[in-house]
Amino acid sequence: MSKEVDISVDFAGLRLVNPVFTASGTCGYADELADFMDVKCLGGFITKSITLKARKGNATPRIVETDSGMLNAIGLANIGLEAFVEEKLPVIAELGAAVFVNVAGERIEEYVAVAERLAGEQAIAGLELNISCPNVAKGGITFGTDPELVTEITSAVKKAAGEKVLMVKLSPCVTDISVTARAAVEAGADALSLVNTFTAMVIDAETRRAVLANRTGGLSGPAIKPMALYMVNKVYNEVAKDSGVPILGTGGIRTATDAVEFMIAGASAVAVGTWNFIEPDCTVKIVEGIKKYCVRKQIKNIKELVGSLE
Amino acid sequence: MIDNECKSSKGVFDAVVTGNRQVGERFCRLGLEFEGAGTAAFAEAKPGQFAELNLIDSAVPLKDRIPEHLRDGAGRQILLRRPFSFCDISVKEEKCGVEILYGIVGPASLRMTTLSRGDTVSVMGPLGNGFWVPEDTKKAILVAGGMGAPPILHLAKVLTKDYAGIDVSAFAGAKTVDELPFERRLDKLSQGLGFSLGEFGKYGITSKIATDDGTAGYHGPVTDCLAEWLRENSIGGEGTIIYSCGPEAMLAKVAETAKEKNIECQVSMERLMGCGIGVCQSCVVECRVAGSNETIGKLCCKDGPVFDGKEVVFNI
Repeated sequence: MSKEVDISVDFAGLRLVNPVFTASGTCGYADELADFMDVKCLGGFITKSITLKARKGNATPRIVETDSGMLNAIGLANIGLEAFVEEKLPVIAELGAAVFVNVAGERIEEYVAVAERLAGEQAIAGLELNISCPNVAKGGITFGTDPELVTEITSAVKKAAGEKVLMVKLSPCVTDISVTARAAVEAGADALSLVNTFTAMVIDAETRRAVLANRTGGLSGPAIKPMALYMVNKVYNEVAKDSGVPILGTGGIRTATDAVEFMIAGASAVAVGTWNFIEPDCTVKIVEGIKKYCVRKQIKNIKELVGSLE
Repeated sequence: MIDNECKSSKGVFDAVVTGNRQVGERFCRLGLEFEGAGTAAFAEAKPGQFAELNLIDSAVPLKDRIPEHLRDGAGRQILLRRPFSFCDISVKEEKCGVEILYGIVGPASLRMTTLSRGDTVSVMGPLGNGFWVPEDTKKAILVAGGMGAPPILHLAKVLTKDYAGIDVSAFAGAKTVDELPFERRLDKLSQGLGFSLGEFGKYGITSKIATDDGTAGYHGPVTDCLAEWLRENSIGGEGTIIYSCGPEAMLAKVAETAKEKNIECQVSMERLMGCGIGVCQSCVVECRVAGSNETIGKLCCKDGPVFDGKEVVFNI
C-alpha cells in the first residue's frame, strides 16, 4: 500500500525520488555505504568535503561521544579535488541518486577553483558550499558567520558553478541565522542546508585537558535536533517562504518522524547525518516511514507537508 | 586457513545472546549466535577483524551493581556503536557462535553487562582487516597487552587449528594481575615457556604472563619479558612473526624489538571510532609511505585495525 504514495520532490529544479539525503561527512565519497544499503533509494547524496588540495586533517582524537550526541573535529581530511575527480566521480556516475559535492576551502579562490572544475561534470547535480565547518583554523565557519563574506563567497561560487544547483550550508553558530540565510539567497544560492554542527567541547576532569586534539569540535546527533528544527522554521518563515528557495533540513534526524517534523517546520527535503553511523541503512527505513506517514495522514503530495506548522 | 585476500561479506545482523558471564572483577565474556546471512558473514571473520554492537537499547545496571568509579555518568545516553574484536568463533549446524571478551570501562560496556541469554543485539560486521599469515611462516609469537588479549586468543585458535607447521608461543601482560582478562587458571606445562594460561594452554600453546607490579608472572613490562626470551633463545630472522594487540606504547616497543631482531610484526591498533566503516574519518593511524619520508593517514577501521608494525608511526 505504502508503495503507491508518491513522495518525489522538486528541489531547486531537481526532481528527486524522495526527500531524503545523506549528509556530508557521514556517507563517504561515493559507494562506501553500498554494503549496507542501495544508494539509489536516496533522494540525494552529499559527498564528504572536497578541497582543492588533499588535506590530512586534524590530530586524533577526532571524535568523542556526548549525551545523545557526538563531537567531531576531522579537519576536512580529504583526498583533494584531483583524486576525487579521477577516482570517485566514475563511481558517483553510477550511484543513481542526485549527488551534491560538498566544497570547502581556506580562501574564496579555492572554493571557486573546485566549483569551476566540477561545473562541467555530468555525474553531479549540485554543490553544497561548506562555509560552516567549525574545525579548521582558516576558512570554514569564518566565512559562514559573517554576512558580508557569505555574500562574497556565494556570488563568486555561483558564477563558477555554471548550471549546477548551488546549496549553501549554514552554521548555527550565529546570533540570527536568518541574516546569513538571506545573504546567501540574495547572492544567488539555489538552496540552503541547515544546520551544520554546533561548536562545542568536552573536557576530561582527571587530566584537565580537552578530549579532542583540536580542543573544540562540532556537536551533532539527536542532542541538536530541537535547535536545528527551530532554526529551519525560523529561516523558512523569514527567508525561504517568500524567496521560494528550498531548505534541506538537517540536525539529529534518526527516524521518519524526525524527518517529517523538519518538513513541517519548513524543509523541502532532509539530510540524515550522524545516524548513518549507527544504522547505515536508516535512510531507506526513513523513506519507507515517510510513505507510511503520508498514507496514514492522507497526504497526496508531500509538498503539502512543507512549512505546514500550525 | 586465513585467506589473505578474501574479503568476507559484511552487514548489519541481529544476534542472539547465548551467555554473558563475568571473568574476574573487570571483564565479561559475551556469547552471540548468528543464523542465516549472519552465519555466512561471521563464519569467515578473521582474527583481528571486529564488529560494532548497538547497545543503545540495553539497560543500565541497577546503581548498586555499578562499580563506584563508574557510577558518575553511567546513566548517560550513549549514541555510537561500540567496536569489539572476537576472542573465539565457532560454526555448528548453520549457526555461528561469536565470543566477545570485554572490559567494564564505561557507560556502554556497563549496559552490555545487562544483556542476558535470549536477548537480541544488532551487530554490524565483520569489519576491517585482520591478521594475515605470510608464506613460509614457521614461528609465531603472540603478544597481548591488557584488553588486547581477545583477538590474540582468536588468532591462537586459528593458528593451531589450521597451520600445523607453525610453532606458536604467547605472552600476555598487564599492569596488575587483576587487569589480565583471563580466567584465573594457570596450567603447568613441563615444556616451552614453563607454564601456561589455560586459555592458550587449551590450544597447546605455552605462554608467559608479565605484570608491571609483579602480582603474577614476570615482574615488569611484557615487552621486556619478550625481549629477554628472544635473546635467551636466539630467536630472530626470517620465518618468524610477532602478532600483537595492546596499548599503543606497548605496540611501539614490540615493533621496535621486532625490527631489531629482523622479525616480521603485525600490530592491531585502537582508535576512537565513529562509524567503523570508513566514512567518518575519525580513526586515523599515521603510516609511513614505503620508499619516502612521507606519511599518510590510514583509517584504523577500514585499512586496519591490523597494520604491519614497520608501517605505523606510533602516537606515544
